[in-house]
Amino acid sequence: MDEPAEPMFDPSIKKKKNRKKELAEETPAVDEELEADFNLETKKKKKPPKERLAAAAEQPEEDGGQGAASAVEGDGSEDKDYSYSELLSRAFRAMMERNPDMLSEKKKVVMKPPSLMRVGTKKTAFANFTEISKQIRRKPDHLLAYLLTELGTTGSVDGNNQLIIKGRFQTKNIESVLRSYIKEYVMCHTCRSHDTELVKETRLFFLQCSTCGSRCSVASIKSGFQAQVGRRAAQRAKAT
Amino acid sequence: MSIQNLQRYDPFADEGNASNESDIHIRIQQRNGKKTLTTVQGIDEKYDKRKILKYCKKEFACNGTVVSREEYGEVIQMQGDQRERIADWLIRNKIADKEKIKVHGF
Repeated sequence: MDEPAEPMFDPSIKKKKNRKKELAEETPAVDEELEADFNLETKKKKKPPKERLAAAAEQPEEDGGQGAASAVEGDGSEDKDYSYSELLSRAFRAMMERNPDMLSEKKKVVMKPPSLMRVGTKKTAFANFTEISKQIRRKPDHLLAYLLTELGTTGSVDGNNQLIIKGRFQTKNIESVLRSYIKEYVMCHTCRSHDTELVKETRLFFLQCSTCGSRCSVASIKSGFQAQVGRRAAQRAKAT
Repeated sequence: MSIQNLQRYDPFADEGNASNESDIHIRIQQRNGKKTLTTVQGIDEKYDKRKILKYCKKEFACNGTVVSREEYGEVIQMQGDQRERIADWLIRNKIADKEKIKVHGF
């Protein structure tokens, strides 16, 4: 690539002064040389652009068969174009060899199951609430807002320990809500690690991962439509 | 003869109304005892919610009503836990895509 260009680059000639003259003189000469080069050269690198494009279309098919074998060897010619999937599988293979535990899915085995107790007939007490929120490294307020929106009820935290939820809930119900919370707001969307922080920046919540460093925006918790359940008279009396 | 560069070019023209409509939220609330209430919010304005409800009531064998609120538009309420059923029904009748339907609740 450099050879045809060399005749044009003459360090002794200053740019501003003679450039136009040079170009006018040299371009016809250079063109001839270039053409000659293109026609005579048979090596891949020096093919004229049109032919090169046609050849490039064929190359991936050729390389498909050889690619897998030669990918790891890394043969020296820069002319072979690796396809994306080859490069991707090569990268993953290298990763798995060196960090075998990086790609494992550690699905928060360490978390304690939520302990639910019934309080009277209409309320459920979630005893581990603050502990669990500490384990997943989230503010209890955020988790509380999510829980109440998803369950569609009201509730409050009692004396720092328990969360009293209005309604009757089973452990597996609460667990599934917690799981969806973790999947959305705790687990990193790219590397699936639980080592994340929830930061608020300019009105948006971002999930910042400390293992892969990715930052993903997450939706804020909005409560939807709440139907009228319970006694209308009591609600009306409360409203007025 | 219009000048090419001065024509207005809409870069989103070929998106094909991707995010025109909002999500459909299906929620569940508890009533007394084991009874529950399913709420569907966010179905597009162009559909007649009363008609939808009428067919759903027959199919799911439940009662229901359409409640309208300014914030949420017209919301369909149904007796019982109909979340999965209504989600499948909406997809089957091509009222919504799977990606737009968000199911909340336990």
